[in-house]
Amino acid sequence: MDGGWKTDDGIQMVDGDNFRPKCIYVAVMMRRIMDAILNKDAMDDKDYVGNKRLELSGQLISLLFEDLFKSMTTEVKNLTDKMLDKPDKARNFDMSTNIITLGLERTLSTGNFEIKRFRMERKGMTQVLQRLSFIGAMGHMTRVSPQFEKSRKVSGPRALQPSQWGMLCPCDTPEGEACGLVKNLALMTHVTTDEEEGPLISMCYLLGVEDLELLSAEELHTPDSFLVIFNGLILGKHRKPLRFAAAIRKLRRDGKIGEFVSVYVNEKQHCVYLASDGGRVCRPLVIADKGISRIKQHHMKELVDGVRTFDDFLRDGLLEYLDVNEENNALIALYEGDATSETTHIEIEPFTILGVIAGLIPYPHHNQSPRNTYQCAMGKQAMGNIAYNQLRRMDSLLYLLVYPQRPLLTTKTIELVGYDKLGAGQNATVAVMSYSGYDIEDAIVMNKASLDRGFGRCIVMKKYSAVIQKHSNDTSDRILRPNRTADTAGRMQILDDDGIAAPGEILKPFDIYVNKQSPIDTRTPKSGSAANLPDSAYRSNAQSFKGHGGEVIDRVVLCSDKDKNMCIKFLIRHTRRPELGDKFSSRHGQKGVCGTIVQQEDFPFSEKGICPDLIMNPHGFPSRMTVGKMIELLGGKAGVSCGRFHYGSAFGERSGHADKVEAISETLVSKGFNYSGKDFIYSGITGCPLQAYIFMGPIYYQKLKHMVLDKMHARGSGPRVMLTRQPTEGRARNGGLRVGEMERDCLIAYGASMLIYERLMLSSDPFEVQVCTACGLLGYYNHKLKTGICSSCKNGDNISTMKLPYACKLMIQELQSMNIVPRLKLADA
Amino acid sequence: MEGASYARMPRVKIRELKDDYAKFELRDTDASIANALRRVMIAEVPTIAIDLVEIEVNSSVLNDEFIAHRLGLIPLTSERAMSMRFSRDCDACDGDGQCEFCSVEFHLRVKCMTDQTLDVSSKDLYSSDHSVVPVDFSDPAATDSSENRGVIIVKLRRGQELRLRAIARKGIGKDHAKWSPAATVTFMYEPEIHINEDLMETLTLEEKREWVDSSPTRVFDIDPVTQQVMVVDSEAYSYDDEVIKKAEAMGKPGLVEIIAKQDSFIFTVESTGAIKASQLVLNAIEILKQKLDAVRLSEDTVEADDQFGELGAHMRGG
Ligand SMILES: [Zn+2]
Ligand SMILES: [Zn+2]
Repeated sequence: MDGGWKTDDGIQMVDGDNFRPKCIYVAVMMRRIMDAILNKDAMDDKDYVGNKRLELSGQLISLLFEDLFKSMTTEVKNLTDKMLDKPDKARNFDMSTNIITLGLERTLSTGNFEIKRFRMERKGMTQVLQRLSFIGAMGHMTRVSPQFEKSRKVSGPRALQPSQWGMLCPCDTPEGEACGLVKNLALMTHVTTDEEEGPLISMCYLLGVEDLELLSAEELHTPDSFLVIFNGLILGKHRKPLRFAAAIRKLRRDGKIGEFVSVYVNEKQHCVYLASDGGRVCRPLVIADKGISRIKQHHMKELVDGVRTFDDFLRDGLLEYLDVNEENNALIALYEGDATSETTHIEIEPFTILGVIAGLIPYPHHNQSPRNTYQCAMGKQAMGNIAYNQLRRMDSLLYLLVYPQRPLLTTKTIELVGYDKLGAGQNATVAVMSYSGYDIEDAIVMNKASLDRGFGRCIVMKKYSAVIQKHSNDTSDRILRPNRTADTAGRMQILDDDGIAAPGEILKPFDIYVNKQSPIDTRTPKSGSAANLPDSAYRSNAQSFKGHGGEVIDRVVLCSDKDKNMCIKFLIRHTRRPELGDKFSSRHGQKGVCGTIVQQEDFPFSEKGICPDLIMNPHGFPSRMTVGKMIELLGGKAGVSCGRFHYGSAFGERSGHADKVEAISETLVSKGFNYSGKDFIYSGITGCPLQAYIFMGPIYYQKLKHMVLDKMHARGSGPRVMLTRQPTEGRARNGGLRVGEMERDCLIAYGASMLIYERLMLSSDPFEVQVCTACGLLGYYNHKLKTGICSSCKNGDNISTMKLPYACKLMIQELQSMNIVPRLKLADA
Repeated sequence: MEGASYARMPRVKIRELKDDYAKFELRDTDASIANALRRVMIAEVPTIAIDLVEIEVNSSVLNDEFIAHRLGLIPLTSERAMSMRFSRDCDACDGDGQCEFCSVEFHLRVKCMTDQTLDVSSKDLYSSDHSVVPVDFSDPAATDSSENRGVIIVKLRRGQELRLRAIARKGIGKDHAKWSPAATVTFMYEPEIHINEDLMETLTLEEKREWVDSSPTRVFDIDPVTQQVMVVDSEAYSYDDEVIKKAEAMGKPGLVEIIAKQDSFIFTVESTGAIKASQLVLNAIEILKQKLDAVRLSEDTVEADDQFGELGAHMRGG
């Protein structure tokens, strides 16, 4: 057993003085280079998924552990050496270090993997799992992030690769800079882990691989013999590569070797590639013998009866995992009926090429492709149920829907992932028509009665915490029983006698939710008992609530933080009904805000008495081409009228996982509706019939987490930045709304100079300065003499008073500090 | 008192009347009156619904607002509502909304003591006024009491408890849908169907059947004896134009003529149970009258002419 070892980088290593394997390896490399020069087709594609490896947490952690373990051993050795140098060797020797604990903790909490030993320096390797929605969490766990930086302007790695078929979702990728680089796994993808190489190598030799050591030059170049490469390492040659590959596949199907070992015969390169390394993506396929599926009817019956599981199919050699390379040796039929005698495998189901998130879209194959991508980004922002334990969790932010529903139009993926149990949306009856003009630009008109009855109602849970700090001088913060007679009593009404707000209390803005006091002096060590400080030694540090009002304290939790300080956590709940400007979206990348809320009696109604929950403008359809949404409406309408959930799995019409429009129309007609899903509708305002038939039916609508209440902002006067005395920026700091360069340009072009003067100076940072007309420098105002004085001319003769933006005065002084003298030259206007 | 009279004498014919369902014809009037009646039924007929909830103990899985919202949507029998006061203009309690003239108090005290899930329903709500109670949906014919629980509010497991006081007040559907007594109010124009018999006779039996089947609803049928196409149920027609399109496609335009009668309406009224469907219609008419009286009361004022213009003149004239 020789020739088979390599360095950490996977390069052939030299065994003693024997350079022969290395020479051959280099020669093969050179041959490949020359091939590539002569023939561009022989060039490897770096975007080909078969040439890529995913790194999983196990690999990364094991690398980190190896590094830390080696650091620890050297540390222990150093300690021991130091110890042994000392005269009293018999002393108790403590060699415990916490290098591994600290190192793991630091790396996992910062996410920065800096492993010098392996020349690894990566940022953002750990992420906090998105828990804002169930689907968001699922999507996050299937995400694949690239290593290299996102700024490169190449299109190659961003483009859809044919080899990612079935392995990576073609729809689910973010928009913007990471577009196409960040990917998501498809529904059935498995990422391999490392497998022991030794036994596999010896098995290869037993199956007739000839060691290169034993071959003469002539034998090396026998035309029909193939080079056997195992995990990037040349094992030897084989005279009958196809038989060799078949033998390995047989062993794999019999379960004698791991199910994720792949063999791939490359005719062009005269090579057989074996792979057992970790990080390859692979997917299960049904094995077919000469085009006949190995899975028979009785197997499926056993599966339905629950006698047989997926793993049994694998163990019995009915299914197998193929990686991207081995797929090149397979001829895969989409359906059993399409199989010919050459077919080696049959797809399990076509909808599995999509990932978890794209799998939620009904009829995605009828939509314009970018719409599905938009929905993949939006599905993660939808509110609903996030987990079964959602009400026992203490997330810093949680959005829940009060009445989440399961979609009327489901897909197989929805059932497989459990979205039907943890839904994030509601089935709204939608009328596609124009109404009132408040529905332009994708805005939707909502029925007030529907909102009254709970449509789109959501719960926002926010966590606030208060820490009872222990200070360096043994003093500590304290919580005080509220003084019911003090001036602040009004703000302390929600407090219990323990000084902490009680669950169930309704909060008003500026209510105190924890009556905390801090010692004034936290530095100087106290003599005697630190606990018995007088009341005068404390100042109030009460935390007051900054919200909208109407929030309720859901839960109060007492715990200790990592520094062993007592920590009080408040979960504050806010129930909100939809309001103007809240964002909604269907499952087809069609987002829109609520444009207006209309009384039910003004809403259109059909003679059956159906009144929509929502009105969507028909202009949303022609340019978006979301035909899937129309079919969802039809299917949903048929679903409610016949009492059966309809399916819309991707590409599912042929296999019965998606209802066909013809069948849906038939159901509609049998229930007394028009086959096209259109209804004859009366105006609720006039009582007259509308001029057109209206396309109306249920569509699953998601409420997205972007709500007006969290965003709306306006300010008259307010806080200013210390340095420049200009208004602060941003909603969180109650900031001003900036008149930017472009707005300024418009005002200049229009000639509204006084408006510019007002916006840019009077409403921002006006400042009165004393300017010396003689020297042009800024002076100051002497309050005693009641005149301005120029400190450079040492008099006040030529001072004139003027207004300047404070930022300008600041710049003049900053320039002066750099030995640049800006002088103001004043003239009469 | 001059000028043409616009007054008409609408006629009502009741077709079907149940406690929570009514179907009637409204004739000799126009869409404005029919629609006004519909709108008033949905939005302005008062009922009583729970409006204020004081929660004493709530250890259930649903939060306080959630339960309060669910309580509000429970329909309460509201025969009293028309004579009750709105709490905002109740003198007895200064608009506080807590006195007997404008409110009804409810209590709910439930605790689950067994390992079985306990359904808290509207039947657990105890009213201070026996005339205002949660609507009983149970079928009087069915005797199985375990099946006939009311509207489910929340489910409790062992040890969980719900204790609250609720105040029900009078209100209208315009303010909140919980006060709307109407589950469905809708009307349709009565269709008038004329079959061109001469043209119809030019069709073969096969063609006739094909034409009859083209309607998604069963409007036409073929007489098994005479083999003539006849109208079975003209009101089943949903104005879908399918038969007309079919006739055109068969090369026989004008085979059938369907017009919506502009002065006849067929109303369907379904009540939530708060008041009887018949009472709902009567109350709606009463409120409509009151609204018109409000207009008429200000008939002499100049503002009335500004506000109502020609309508004011009509009121005086008519
Ligand atoms: Zn000067
Ligand atoms: Zn009162």
